Amino acid sequence: MSLDTIKPSPGFLEHLPIEYQDLVNHGQYGKKMKASDMGKFKELIEEHPMCAGCAMTLFIRLVFIGLPNPEHSVIVGTAGCGRLAISQGNVPFIYGNYGDTNSTASGLKRGLELRFPNQKKDVIAMCGDGGLVDIGFQGLMHSWFRNEKFATIMLDNEVYGNTGGQESGMTLKGKVLKMAPRGKVDEKMDVMGLAKVAGVDYIARIAPTNPGRVLRTVRRAILVAREIGSSYIQAYTSCNIEYSIPTPDVMKDAFDIEKERYGFEEIVSDRAKKFLDEVEKKKK
Amino acid sequence: MSNAVAKPKDWVPKGDLQKEISAEKMLLELPRELLFITGSEAAREAIKRANIDCAISYPITPQSETMQQAGYLYDEGYIKEYYRAEEEIGVMSATAGASRAGVRALTATSGPGLMRGMEAISSWPGARVTPVLLDMCRVINTPLAIQPDNIEISFLLNTGMIMLHAENQQDFFDYTLAACEVTEHVDVTLPAMVSVDGFFVTHARGPVSIPSDEYKLNRRDGWRSAVPAMDNENPPARISRDAPIQKSNFISYHMHASWQQEVFAALERSGKYFEKLLKGRIEIINPEAEDFIICSGSAVSQAREAVRQEGENGRVVGLVKVKTLRPFPTTSIVNALKNAKRILIPEFNQAGWMHKEVCSVLYGKCKANIVDGPRVFGGMTMPTEMVIEWLAKARKDFP
Amino acid sequence: MAVKRYNVRMAGIGGQGVVTASHIISNGVVISGGYSSLVPFFGSEKRNAPVESYVRISNEEIYEIGEIIFPNVLMIFHPSVITLGKSYTMPFYTGLKQGGIILINSKTPLKFSRDEQRELDEKEAKLWYLPATEIANEVAKTDLATNMAMCGAISAIFGLPDLESLAASVKDRFVGKGIVTSGGTAALDSAIEKKFAKKQKLLEANHNTLKATYQYALDQGWANEGAGSKKESAAV
Repeated sequence: MSLDTIKPSPGFLEHLPIEYQDLVNHGQYGKKMKASDMGKFKELIEEHPMCAGCAMTLFIRLVFIGLPNPEHSVIVGTAGCGRLAISQGNVPFIYGNYGDTNSTASGLKRGLELRFPNQKKDVIAMCGDGGLVDIGFQGLMHSWFRNEKFATIMLDNEVYGNTGGQESGMTLKGKVLKMAPRGKVDEKMDVMGLAKVAGVDYIARIAPTNPGRVLRTVRRAILVAREIGSSYIQAYTSCNIEYSIPTPDVMKDAFDIEKERYGFEEIVSDRAKKFLDEVEKKKK
Repeated sequence: MSNAVAKPKDWVPKGDLQKEISAEKMLLELPRELLFITGSEAAREAIKRANIDCAISYPITPQSETMQQAGYLYDEGYIKEYYRAEEEIGVMSATAGASRAGVRALTATSGPGLMRGMEAISSWPGARVTPVLLDMCRVINTPLAIQPDNIEISFLLNTGMIMLHAENQQDFFDYTLAACEVTEHVDVTLPAMVSVDGFFVTHARGPVSIPSDEYKLNRRDGWRSAVPAMDNENPPARISRDAPIQKSNFISYHMHASWQQEVFAALERSGKYFEKLLKGRIEIINPEAEDFIICSGSAVSQAREAVRQEGENGRVVGLVKVKTLRPFPTTSIVNALKNAKRILIPEFNQAGWMHKEVCSVLYGKCKANIVDGPRVFGGMTMPTEMVIEWLAKARKDFP
Repeated sequence: MAVKRYNVRMAGIGGQGVVTASHIISNGVVISGGYSSLVPFFGSEKRNAPVESYVRISNEEIYEIGEIIFPNVLMIFHPSVITLGKSYTMPFYTGLKQGGIILINSKTPLKFSRDEQRELDEKEAKLWYLPATEIANEVAKTDLATNMAMCGAISAIFGLPDLESLAASVKDRFVGKGIVTSGGTAALDSAIEKKFAKKQKLLEANHNTLKATYQYALDQGWANEGAGSKKESAAV
């Protein structure tokens, strides 16, 4: 979609819903928004049916703001809490079958490259920990080994939130959750390590404590996927319901966990680093 | 095995040299040359002329020989994108992903692979994607075998996808090309499966007449479709094509129901195109007969031989071959069989899905005694002798 | 014209080229203007495992498909199909039509159990022994040409395909690219090619083998199913 597509034909704008008018007049299309701009422009996602105080929702909101080219992006998701919010965004969203995100995105990305040889389209697979590393493990790993050119974002709430709080591969050892009545037996899966082994070009672990850093990380991941190869962001997006975090303390929990075991970390391949250096130097 | 060699700089994909034409021209007008080839090779020839953008493969017997041929076609430049995916859930998801991008996508599988990819496949019609799936039927139930048995077809009858059942190598070629075009008509926009009984057809040689490979089907126009492609080429709106209508309220119930009604209405609308391209959705031999055989796929070949041998012995037996299982050619079947006295339904599966289909459309419209068989399954073939025996028994049981 | 029909079941050992032989015979029939179809029985393709393949040959269009349950001709490519039971079909003559032909690759007649011998007698089976491996070794200097030897004899027995069409079919197989081969077969092909260095030599050796067993079959009086045109073919 070119930026012109957003603009209604002359004389039509006033007849469109106010929401749409705001997107055209005060949206993020064609601009690069900063975290400090939040509240001053019409965001791609606003209303959503997520739980009050949900950290995942904040993170998803930041991902939308971080999209370098929302007018040329397609998001692929699967079952889980995240898709309830993602599907409300102004970006085409494929709500596929269980755990099929990275397989679907592989075909989609290749198809888009065939159809639009002169216009890069960003494909982003964004879904929960269960969807990616439990049921979607095979598709995830193989898309990485094939070095598919799309970004994968894990919304890691360390639990199956949408189905009511069952343990997932990303749950910490010992946590008592549904389907782990005596506490989870195994360790949290080291997906960062798996990504590294699979040769993912840009890998980042992050908690939504620093909005500016989230925006930068999302942009980096998407740009690397667009030009170099697979990228992966693993984001701590706590489930305040299943982990009983009082709503006012959700951000405090994010800071605590970040400090304890979820610190910001980037693993960047040499070629991705070279590319990012060039892009970021140019911008300055 | 050999090591990869890069294409020279002046390499021209062979597909670029083909001339684009309609399926009508390809199937009904162009002169044809007679070859003696296997079903897998017939599939290769169809794919070569189908203007496929993206083919995604995963090996399973007896399908592998087809998708590895597709790989060679990719290498020659008849297919633009090709890879071996992780397994069938991955294959079926990625094939749908490519189709969502607005390009023509194709894959193939067999029995257990089809079952593995089933969750994805059954989501295709509702997603209004248009891939073509070639299905080389094989045993799926335990004890597992690689031999032909088409019970897998029964699992897909109610998905809303177009389903064709090829009798032989020739059908496999023709039906595949027809499917590639019909799926993409705006008033259809549905996926199609072209089934063929494994080994009996895929690995067996038979006569196939085909038009020149200087031609290929018109390319898919990603902008022409009942629902927009997932290409972000439309003005933004807070609506996703795959709206997660999981709220339990009457709006979501209606949304799902009307969407599915439209899928099945689109399926019916595809019938007129196949009527033309396949010269009818059923074939009738000896329409005046009192004894009829109705079947699809390999069973038709055995039935043809039975009809011939019965004819040599002075007994007229009619035959109805069903080409499109979905949309099911209900009216044509009722008209063909309304005066029949005995009907035999030979099948290569245990469930007898064709028997159930035929009984349900003939109920109250035909006075014939419908025999529940003959049936073979687990991979064995149905000797003509068996069909003739069952015919004799039907005549005795229902004088 | 009455329908003339040979329903041939071929049995042998993986690696002997049984399926290839069925392709060659079937394709030869089509080249000669007749009708034919074939279907290999697929277990898994492994060296030394039993292999079966089925060819239908006719002077009229063939409708029936699938493996042949009631053949009127059996080709046994290796004695161990019978002696060691290396066969999917046990006993090997199961389903053979009355008066059917059994062509066995063996220098000497095989011994059957009393029951087997009785059943073969009851079927009035024509048991013919062809030293195919020996002829292949002698003419082509390799037992890999055993399948060719079997094909040459069949050409003499049926008169269909004629020797010329059969030779053309062999050429198609090794020079043309008409036939899709399995991975194992392709690997074996390159082994054969290495042995002969040049395809031309390979073709020549194959042709000579075909000719040799064709002649052998004529000398044995097997032409026209063993009795000139006097005897009716086995009922289909």
